[in-house]
Amino acid sequence: MGLVSSLVRLVLSPQFFGPIVFPGLVTVLAVLLSIIWVERKIAARVQMRVGPLYILRPLGGAIQMLADGLRFFFQEFIVPETVDRVPFLLAPVVAMSFAMLPFAFVPLAPNFKPYTVPYSMPAFLGLNTVIPLTVLAMAWGSNNKFSIQGGIREAYMTIAYEAVLFISAYSMALLYHTLDFAEMVEAQKVPGILLNPISALVFFIAMIMSAGKLPFDIVEGEQEIVAGPFTEYSGIAFGLTMGIGYVQLYGFTLAFTLMYLSGWEPLVAPLYSIYPALGGILLFVKAYLLLVFIVFLRAVYGRYRLDQALRIGWRTLFPLAIVSVFLSIALGVIGVV
Amino acid sequence: MSSSVMEARLLEKEGDEEVYEVFIGPQHPASGHMRLIVRLEGDVIVGVDPDIGWVHRTMEKLAESKEALKAIPLLERMTIIDSQNVTIGYVRALEKLLGVEPPPRARYLRTLLSEINRIASHLYGMGLAGIFVNHSTMFMWCFGDREVWIQLAEELTGARLTHSYSVPGGVRRDLPQGFKEKALKAIRYMEKRLDEYHRIFFDNPQVRARYEGVGVLKPHEARRLGVVGPNLRASGVRYDARLLGDYGVYDELEFEIPVREEGDAMSRLLLRGDEIRQSMNIIRQVLDKIPEGPILAEKYLRLIPPKLREPALKEGRIKFPGIFANLKLPKGEAVARAEMGHGEIFYHVTSDGSKKPYRVRVVTPSFRNVILFRYLPPGHRFMDLPAIYGSLDYFPPEADR
Amino acid sequence: MFRGKVRRHVEAIATGLKYLVKPNRITVYYPEEAIVLSERYRGMIHYDWDKCISCGLCAMICPADAMKMYRKKGEKKARPGINYQRCIFCGYCVDICPTNALSFTRVHDVAFEKLDEMLYPPEKFTSEWRSPAEERGARRLRVVFDEERGLKHVPEQ
Repeated sequence: MGLVSSLVRLVLSPQFFGPIVFPGLVTVLAVLLSIIWVERKIAARVQMRVGPLYILRPLGGAIQMLADGLRFFFQEFIVPETVDRVPFLLAPVVAMSFAMLPFAFVPLAPNFKPYTVPYSMPAFLGLNTVIPLTVLAMAWGSNNKFSIQGGIREAYMTIAYEAVLFISAYSMALLYHTLDFAEMVEAQKVPGILLNPISALVFFIAMIMSAGKLPFDIVEGEQEIVAGPFTEYSGIAFGLTMGIGYVQLYGFTLAFTLMYLSGWEPLVAPLYSIYPALGGILLFVKAYLLLVFIVFLRAVYGRYRLDQALRIGWRTLFPLAIVSVFLSIALGVIGVV
Repeated sequence: MSSSVMEARLLEKEGDEEVYEVFIGPQHPASGHMRLIVRLEGDVIVGVDPDIGWVHRTMEKLAESKEALKAIPLLERMTIIDSQNVTIGYVRALEKLLGVEPPPRARYLRTLLSEINRIASHLYGMGLAGIFVNHSTMFMWCFGDREVWIQLAEELTGARLTHSYSVPGGVRRDLPQGFKEKALKAIRYMEKRLDEYHRIFFDNPQVRARYEGVGVLKPHEARRLGVVGPNLRASGVRYDARLLGDYGVYDELEFEIPVREEGDAMSRLLLRGDEIRQSMNIIRQVLDKIPEGPILAEKYLRLIPPKLREPALKEGRIKFPGIFANLKLPKGEAVARAEMGHGEIFYHVTSDGSKKPYRVRVVTPSFRNVILFRYLPPGHRFMDLPAIYGSLDYFPPEADR
Repeated sequence: MFRGKVRRHVEAIATGLKYLVKPNRITVYYPEEAIVLSERYRGMIHYDWDKCISCGLCAMICPADAMKMYRKKGEKKARPGINYQRCIFCGYCVDICPTNALSFTRVHDVAFEKLDEMLYPPEKFTSEWRSPAEERGARRLRVVFDEERGLKHVPEQ
């Protein structure tokens, strides 16, 4: 009896529940399985097609990704002789781990923080910056011409988006006078996107760049470099590399919702009173809708060129990010927040 | 060719660390049935070697080994997406050798199918141009809308792609009932869709950024390299084999040959859109003006037994006269040109008086355009290579024959 | 310039959304539905034993050497047989047949398990063709041209 109750207590403690159940690991897997299906269905709808259908047909092939994932598990994972084995094998795992870690800093509801630090926003963004390094490791470890090209592209892209991503996020920190996501949500009497739309736009584009989704899927660049850094991967490792972008994107949409869309507000009080984490349901819904919109962009855009993405990053987004900082300071001085 | 020559062609100097060599194809998501040997300095292309011949099927030799009429379904397979235009030149050459002219109605019908095929071919090219910059919607839309034109062609000829429609002296099928209404509906639909293409693709700033100013082909370069088709006309040179008036009824119709001055990848794409509009204009005129009459030359028509001929004609089809199985080609030579979706195709048929042509020479548009892979990409970024490839509408099986 | 760009971005996204809300799908759910092919479709070929006069024109004109004349021992008349491994469905044989013994069927969706099964000597050549999808009770769809949707597939009455 004591064991069960302590287990339940462990599972329901914010430190466990946040990273492992919601919005972390378990939810991430569910999001991963569903969003790829949603993406394919949306693209198919726009493109005069039907998309995945035959696996669980009554639900329109909703568990297609489960089948694909299973296939990844049972597919042979080929390790080419010429690869540098340690980085080649380790990098996808490290990348996935670092894509999962930021969820420890996502507050779900008032007084429900998995990991209590006053700097959850920089910690969240900082952990995400490790992923490009692992991608570089994959590219270099693969020892393949296409992979190395992809690795170089990843390095360039990091330069394009990282600075603006941080500056636009910090402009919101300046606005709310805090570096903590939870306090940011509480500070938003009006959603942040209305207070500082420039910062929201910059952060939005930078996070698409960071996750490598269209129109910035430059690193994978199928038409030139096959699958970029992931060319040599097969089986479950390829599944991991494919999932990283989505996991990252899901994390970023949560952050976007916390900073610009007033997070879990308005709080669903009945659910919150059952269990505090359930108060985060609205946070999740907003983030998911945003995610759906981003994957919908795949049906509208092609891929920008690498130098154009850099130009967008430095010539357009960087000045805008600086402007957003000044806008935040101005708003702070007037005392809007 | 010795192996050392091959290696010298494939590899830059040994130990040249500056140049990074990438083999695009033949097993690559965006190579098509060919290989591009790309040399890069950093991200900038310094040289591209198009390595063709992966789908060489000895078309010319095979055509020489068969009776003249049998080569029509064969040559069709060079450009299966544009099968009327690819064979019409051969049929014209045979007609010149045989001294037979198709009746007016047959010429109108040939023109009709030629333009339907041209639209389908351009849609195919535009769709691939879309997927080359990972714009999957353009790809799917073009292929989906191409289905409309394939359906039209099927109702006219009985096959979706391999029409084998033109034979010496005429065509094999007459207009089916209600074809005009269907075609007009298809045209009105396509006109609306072209506007949508503009909204999501041609005017999309992302697509503009990828295609505008990329792979500029100057008019004098285009002339010097012998480029044909939309790629030539997008560089400001007004040349189109349809203007020669050798086949079809183009001299009796009013239409424009779209020309653009910029010569970049975007103008090549937009020109295909313009040509689709013109082709629809031609189809409209053909359907309005088409005269009544036979669809096969009198010379062959009277060889068909009347009790076989009349019911077939009522059904809107012809029967072949028995002589078609053993058509003897008079001694001589004939050349013919035709404008395909990809550009001008040229046939030179030589006969020594037997049933089989002595020599069939085919110069296909893609074969003439493939040289652009060498001249356009250098100086561009590596990511521009697919954009340039997409804009050229290059069709490897056609080039390799 | 900048404003034009923004407008065109918005237009592109709006066009995508328009089709997301109101899709124009052309997919036919094949094994459950099957398109009725057009009147003059060049499908599998049917051979009429009694009409044939054994002239051999079909075998002579076949561009793919799919059609061959078979002669049984002791019989005078040779008869055509077809090899569907080679047939390219150009329909020359049907068009040249002087007695209309050969005719097109509007069936093309057949599959064979073994290569041998694709060989149709004269006796087998007379067999009737039926679409396997229709035999399994597929809904028959007619293709209709439409100004708004391009092609529409409507159930056949």
